[in-house]
Amino acid sequence: MNDFTELLDGLRAAVDGRTAPSPGLRQLLAEAGDPATMRRAGHLLADLAPVEPDLRPIRVTVLATCTIGPFEHLLRAALIAVGTQPTLLLGDYGTFDLALAAGEIDGSPDLVTCLLDERYFLPREWSAVDTEGLTAHIEARFAELRGAIRACLPRTPGTFVLHTVPVPAELRDSLISVRARAAAARAWHRLNADLLGLAEEDGRITVVDLAGELADVAVAARDDRLHRYADLPYTDGALLTLARRVARVAAARSGLSRKVLAVDLDNTLWGGVLGEAGEAGLQLGGLYPGNCYQDLQRAVHRLREQGVILVLASKNDAGPVDEVLTRHPEMLLRPEDFAVRAVNWSPKAGNLRHAAETLNLAGSAFVFMDDSAFERGHVSAELPEVAVVAADGDPAHLVRSLLRPGWFDVPELTDTDLKRPALYRSRALRTGFSTGFASSEDYLHALRTRLIAHPVTTFEIGRVAQLSARTNQFNLTGIRFDEGATTAMSADPDRLVASFAVSDRFGDEGIVGAAWIESRGRVWWVLNLVLSCRVFGRGIEFAIADWIVGRAREAGATAVAGRYVPSGRNKVADGFWEKAGFTPSDEDGTYTVVPATAPSCLPTWIAYPGDE
Amino acid sequence: MTELDDTASVVLNTLSEVLGKPIGELRAREVLATHGWDSLSSLEALSRLESRLAVTLDLRAYHAAHTVTALIDLVAAAATSNAGAGRRG
Repeated sequence: MNDFTELLDGLRAAVDGRTAPSPGLRQLLAEAGDPATMRRAGHLLADLAPVEPDLRPIRVTVLATCTIGPFEHLLRAALIAVGTQPTLLLGDYGTFDLALAAGEIDGSPDLVTCLLDERYFLPREWSAVDTEGLTAHIEARFAELRGAIRACLPRTPGTFVLHTVPVPAELRDSLISVRARAAAARAWHRLNADLLGLAEEDGRITVVDLAGELADVAVAARDDRLHRYADLPYTDGALLTLARRVARVAAARSGLSRKVLAVDLDNTLWGGVLGEAGEAGLQLGGLYPGNCYQDLQRAVHRLREQGVILVLASKNDAGPVDEVLTRHPEMLLRPEDFAVRAVNWSPKAGNLRHAAETLNLAGSAFVFMDDSAFERGHVSAELPEVAVVAADGDPAHLVRSLLRPGWFDVPELTDTDLKRPALYRSRALRTGFSTGFASSEDYLHALRTRLIAHPVTTFEIGRVAQLSARTNQFNLTGIRFDEGATTAMSADPDRLVASFAVSDRFGDEGIVGAAWIESRGRVWWVLNLVLSCRVFGRGIEFAIADWIVGRAREAGATAVAGRYVPSGRNKVADGFWEKAGFTPSDEDGTYTVVPATAPSCLPTWIAYPGDE
Repeated sequence: MTELDDTASVVLNTLSEVLGKPIGELRAREVLATHGWDSLSSLEALSRLESRLAVTLDLRAYHAAHTVTALIDLVAAAATSNAGAGRRG
């Protein structure tokens, strides 16, 4: 219990000082496995003053078919651990069906978490000799739930989070015929399969597999006393498991997913120390423990496949490492899999900082995996926003240590995710290419950049919504239009959602920006404009402004108006409108230009396709 | 510290945290109901006590304990029988 004194004292100090819990404290909170401690943490954190932008605000509604009880505090603690600050709205006891039947969830929540209990799906009385009737009842209850949630979707802006429900022991064990027991279990597993299927029906429904996860962690699902006494369906341990999963959904939705894995070599991607054991002495592949390291490489490769950028962070001589990466027959990761290879004897914190600059990503996008407590400690001290994964101890746990926290979770993969590693690799090449030019303008001309701009298509909405959720730096107003809002706007004749893609001599960057525009009278209002940090410093934003003004001119608009709302993280966009030729209006933070007379602000090194 | 004293201090600390009252005040007015002891706070205390002391309490007996002393006695009895069971096993 004393292990958690530091955590609880630290949280208390943060609450008293009205500051955000430090990244180190949040990591402790993320790793705390003791539900009682997490409950206390959640209690304490209820009094935390708003600490934006250190924590991302999120409105979360909890609806339950049972008592919410300790889930409130566990969920709050888990949400703060991942970097969000929730405003929790709890549905009253016994109002689950009523809340959904209203067809709309109050308070415009970002997330609606439904806590489901077996009693919602089981009839009060059921016969052990009529499993067909029981199955039909379970199916009917699921259909009701599905209908109610789908009816709420059009008028509720946020994402619904549901979960699978463990097989009720009473259902399983009431049946003495093993055949009937199998049939009942099958009906219940089908219910869970149907619940999971809801996520495929609508992008705004997410379902976490609580039942599956409880089979893998050493906590009891239920406490019969609390279930019967207080209608509490799950133990604190099971609720914490659920809360952590819900928090991962919240983090992914809030743009807090990590994008980069920086990984060590010696005793992490392979066993042994290359400088001592030599290439032939490395443990890699074959039987234990070599298979552990190769399995980790497999897991890392799968992450890369899904868009995670890899950075090598190793204290070694570069020559022998290149040799192993290129030639070792058991290596699964090869040199081209890494966007940046920092193999040298400099401190790793400096190397990671440099890699972040090269990739134009913040430290908060990084996860660092290393077997050395010294290296992890040093990186944490220098770059507290980097998440660290310990690779020491038995190498059999390497894969789980890396994957279990879900650092890289995203709502869904887009085309850009799939291309990202290659994109960032060509960016690193681009950085190398840039050293041979007299001025950066010469370099930009030689890049032959093209901006592909048009109204968003159905296929692009997912990516555009993702940019809206994830872009923090070049985000002019901070208004985050999700998939639903973007879809609705794109179909409205008075509104325009535009997507912006960029390509250059090194390849296709894909969609890097988006704008949400509303026409009021004859004035075009840019509600928000976002641009991926991947393309900063190339004048893309001015080409976008030029394009918008051009379209407004064609449409006969008398003015284009835009706003800049400082968020603490979007300083990079400060002064954008003025640089694009707009003038400040009487209204604070609003800038306008007259399309008919506006000079072009298209940089000379950027062309629209077809202009060349 | 004897085992009993140890258990008593865990119970008192837990009650003090859950009910937000100093231990002295709990000792001065023994009846739990005067300190806001309701179904929510009692279950919160139950969860903490069971987790800290690795005991399982009978819910009927737990709810029947209306005073601080009665609760300490109940938890101490459960802790002792648990430890005894452990030794036998």
